[in-house]
Amino acid sequence: MDKFLFLLGEGLKNLWRHKLTVFTAVFSVFLSLSTIGVLFIAEQNTHKLIEYMRTKYKIEVFFKGTVTNEQAIQYVQKIRMIPGVYTTTLITKEEALKVYKSQFGDDLTEFLDYNPLPVSCVVNVKRKYDGYLIITPIIERIKEIEGVDTVNHQGHLISRIESFYERGLLGLSGIAFAIILVTVMIIANTIKLTIYSNKDLIKALKMLGATNTFIRIPFILEGVLQAILGAILASALLYGAVYGANEILSQLTTFTINVQWMFLGWLFLIAVVISLFGSSRAISKFIK
Amino acid sequence: MIQLENVSYTYRKGFGLANIDFTIDEGEFVFLIGPTGSGKSTLLNLLYMEIFPESGRVTIGKFDSDSIKKRKIPVLRRTIGIISQNYYLLDDRNLFENVALPLHVIGHSQKDIADIVEEVLEEVGLTGLEDHYPEELSGGEQQRACLARAIIKDPEIILADEPTGNLDPVTSFDLIKLLEEINSEGTTVLMASHNYSLIKSRNHRIVEIHDGRLRSQ
Repeated sequence: MDKFLFLLGEGLKNLWRHKLTVFTAVFSVFLSLSTIGVLFIAEQNTHKLIEYMRTKYKIEVFFKGTVTNEQAIQYVQKIRMIPGVYTTTLITKEEALKVYKSQFGDDLTEFLDYNPLPVSCVVNVKRKYDGYLIITPIIERIKEIEGVDTVNHQGHLISRIESFYERGLLGLSGIAFAIILVTVMIIANTIKLTIYSNKDLIKALKMLGATNTFIRIPFILEGVLQAILGAILASALLYGAVYGANEILSQLTTFTINVQWMFLGWLFLIAVVISLFGSSRAISKFIK
Repeated sequence: MIQLENVSYTYRKGFGLANIDFTIDEGEFVFLIGPTGSGKSTLLNLLYMEIFPESGRVTIGKFDSDSIKKRKIPVLRRTIGIISQNYYLLDDRNLFENVALPLHVIGHSQKDIADIVEEVLEEVGLTGLEDHYPEELSGGEQQRACLARAIIKDPEIILADEPTGNLDPVTSFDLIKLLEEINSEGTTVLMASHNYSLIKSRNHRIVEIHDGRLRSQ
């Protein structure tokens, strides 16, 4: 027990003894974890943003002039059955006339004696998809329905947004992976420097009959404590940044940044695991 | 207690020890002399098994270089007190912490450690300097601190590698007297030195090595 307390105390004291290298390591971990955290928050909210964008995707379906309101109801039911369609809103000939009148101020029936506007339908697509939303098959299926005259949509814009989203997700994962690798290397190298600057201590401990485990533990503890300190600072920064950003966003839009704060637990876990891996790897090169 | 049987060791550069053969009995005080580069430090490194002989065998008490397992080397070293010319005191720890280190390695309780350290510091004449850091101590005090760190675990053997190398004659003489006192309590002492004038007046066996070979014993 006394030996364990001594080693624990040494790990803590080493943080003060090796101030400069500790500062470097904590700062590196802080930067890396903050970047990983920002990427994670971005990934979560990109998802939310793309879902918001998808609510704005609209397909306008115009039926042939001969199609009556009753026939259109049946065609709309067919449209609703198409995979990927979320809602449909039927606009009858009468409703179309009202809309025209409200927008242009003229009543067409006064000039023409009949209502020339066709029955139409606004189609909204589903918001939640696992990945890339392809709108073309939905358009093709709608066009195949009898009575459909023309289909207006923002296909090109939608495919650009969707492909940007897909590439963004892939890029974020790649960057996060690269940052984790770099963090492991930084921690390992910082600890290597710490160990190198303590070669006298290692030599003295060896001469005094210390086992390799006894020599290793304070260095590994030091690495883990550095990682925890870096994770605390990164968590504080991320929390503050999200809070501040939401304060600003609330004045500009209804969109807010949502974060599952459980991910901070993962951030701590990542920090501890990579510091354990990094410090063990570094010290094993010096103690064989 | 210490036995070297036809021990040879060669560094990559091609220099080391050749066919060293001698014995040191329990409780003996032996000087190992020879010029700088003659192989004294190599011999001491072989004794605390930092390196292993290419041929021959080194025996220290119940441990021998042929059969010792890697995990038993720390156990062997706990029976040996090592003093070197370079002190190896830790700059970021005060005198008390430096001297207490071997007891932490062994696993003594905190309460025992405080008592034992005070006792040993008194023995080597460093009482009152517990809070001083190595840079605040003189060369002689640093070497006595090393001695305190070597004897605090009550070792069976003390290996001293040129302990007087950086000390003036008076301080060197005081250090040898301290080692003799420790030896008088039963601890075997092997002290390496290249300073023949310092040791010739002491009444102890002298083992001389030259160019890695035993010249006299």
